[in-house]
Amino acid sequence: MRSLIRYAGWMMAGALLYSCGESESPVAQGPTPISLEKPDYFSDQQAMPSDNPLTEEGVRLGRMLFYEKKLSQDGTISCSSCHQQEKGFSDGLQVSPGVNGTLGTMNAMALSNLHWQTRFFWNGRAVSLEEQALLPIEDSLEMNLPLDEAISRLQDDPDYPELFQAAFGSDQVTSETIGKALAQFERTLISANSKFDKWIRGEVELSPEEELGLELFFTHPEPSIQLRGGNCGDCHLGFLTSGDPNGIAGFHNNGLDSDEKLKSGLEFVTGNPFDKGKFKAPGLRNIALTAPYMHDGRFSTLDEVLDHYNEHIQNSETLDVLILEASNEALDPSKPIKLYLSAEEKQAIIAFLHTLTDEEFVSNPKFSNPFN
Amino acid sequence: MKNISYLFLAVLFAFASCDKEDETPAQMNVEITFENTLNGNPLELNQENFTLPSGEPFMVKKFKYYISNVVLTDTESATQYIENDSYHLLGQDFNSVIDLGMIPSANYDQITFSIGVDEVANSRTDQTGDLDPNNDMAWNWNSGYKFVVLEGEFTHQSTQERTGLIFHIGTNSNYATVTLPLSGVMAGKASSIALETAIDELFSNPNILAPSNMASTTVMGGPVADQIGQNYAEGFIKAN
Repeated sequence: MRSLIRYAGWMMAGALLYSCGESESPVAQGPTPISLEKPDYFSDQQAMPSDNPLTEEGVRLGRMLFYEKKLSQDGTISCSSCHQQEKGFSDGLQVSPGVNGTLGTMNAMALSNLHWQTRFFWNGRAVSLEEQALLPIEDSLEMNLPLDEAISRLQDDPDYPELFQAAFGSDQVTSETIGKALAQFERTLISANSKFDKWIRGEVELSPEEELGLELFFTHPEPSIQLRGGNCGDCHLGFLTSGDPNGIAGFHNNGLDSDEKLKSGLEFVTGNPFDKGKFKAPGLRNIALTAPYMHDGRFSTLDEVLDHYNEHIQNSETLDVLILEASNEALDPSKPIKLYLSAEEKQAIIAFLHTLTDEEFVSNPKFSNPFN
Repeated sequence: MKNISYLFLAVLFAFASCDKEDETPAQMNVEITFENTLNGNPLELNQENFTLPSGEPFMVKKFKYYISNVVLTDTESATQYIENDSYHLLGQDFNSVIDLGMIPSANYDQITFSIGVDEVANSRTDQTGDLDPNNDMAWNWNSGYKFVVLEGEFTHQSTQERTGLIFHIGTNSNYATVTLPLSGVMAGKASSIALETAIDELFSNPNILAPSNMASTTVMGGPVADQIGQNYAEGFIKAN
């Protein structure tokens, strides 16, 4: 059946290409449309923004801007400073230094499979990649460059006006087209060749430990029917292992802090006290390469992460009910919330998390620094 | 199933051929809308002012369900419209409409559908659209789909603690088929069939459930899940 769906996909793609080729052949100018290279088990339902279709020229420009240090005030950092390919587009630091070494407050998010996400930043303050891409440029803790200055630097560059012309039909650089180009490049950062992917495609077997980890990862425990689970898949959904893309459903309070210490998180965006302490459930692709973990980078290893979810959940008014309720032993409300996974089960989940590492993704020359 | 659709095509062409003389168009646009309610009030997520049949205040955080294999019947003329590939994921603050599009005209006076996903579709998770396992309704790659998901919180009567209530109901035995009478659907006229879900019915009729008395407030299988399955098989979805 998998192959059937795939063939149908190819046939449709073929038909589309054919018809496009015929009708559009007289128009030789304009950027070259391309489609995302994605596996058939990543949803087709997430539409490309109609005002920013993916093009070869847009992606090429976006890749250059992603690695462009001119977009920081003192020319020392680019997007790629905090989003390094070899680390799954994260930076290995608890919080990241901006220009002049100013430290940020949040852990740099790893980047992959962003086309299937709908809200960006840990607190969800950007509703599109286009919007997201511009904010770190202006942020005083990050690149600290006013957009006007960014525009004039690119406009005065000997090469960029031509590249904007090729990608967007005008050599006038705008903040809108900077955001669009960066977003296009970011959408191409698809990680889909990990061991987990190969297992989905039936190309490899998982080890018994990895398979146990997979089962636990995607299972919510219910002790009354002897169903053991690690409770991860409630928030890290499906093949993508990322948050629910519908509305703000992908944001959760995962029990890091008690009420007194709860940070605002999603509440900053919605103004709803009910959203206090909720942060984006990130995709876990390449998670073994993207330490440290959590919005504030408080955990330096996956063992600490598993220990947190298993033994150190802090209760609060907005703690996710799927965590509040989750236990592998019958609940006793007088006791602290614990999952009661065994040491072996925790290690099995970590073994499964390692199958999400995609070596091809972190070394793919298409995503690397074009200036090298 | 295929034969029946061919029959419809034939009926459709028959109608189409005499379209000019006939006053009734051969096809009509039909959609089915779902309104979710609790205790007689339109459901709102994350709002505190809802009460369960047990009298316990309850805040709903997620409510989703599958409706599948939709059939419309005109009992007078024994005409049936059977939707192909009929799987729809609906939910609060999610999808609330099944758009059947243009279908053969008839005075449909009965609707049949199932709550959940049939055994065939439930045995595979390599599917797309509303059955895409990347949405939050697939359990994992072995055990099919959750048919009805209700998540929320309440204050436990004995402990006075904030407590989660999680219903993830599935498995083939809880696939329930419902037939309801319809009124007001007229051949040739665009129609919107309004259905209503009542979350109360998950907690009552025939099995009464009061969260504070439940041994486990997480229900994902086992006898309590089957009780909830019996509850939603009747009265959970009504014509509005």
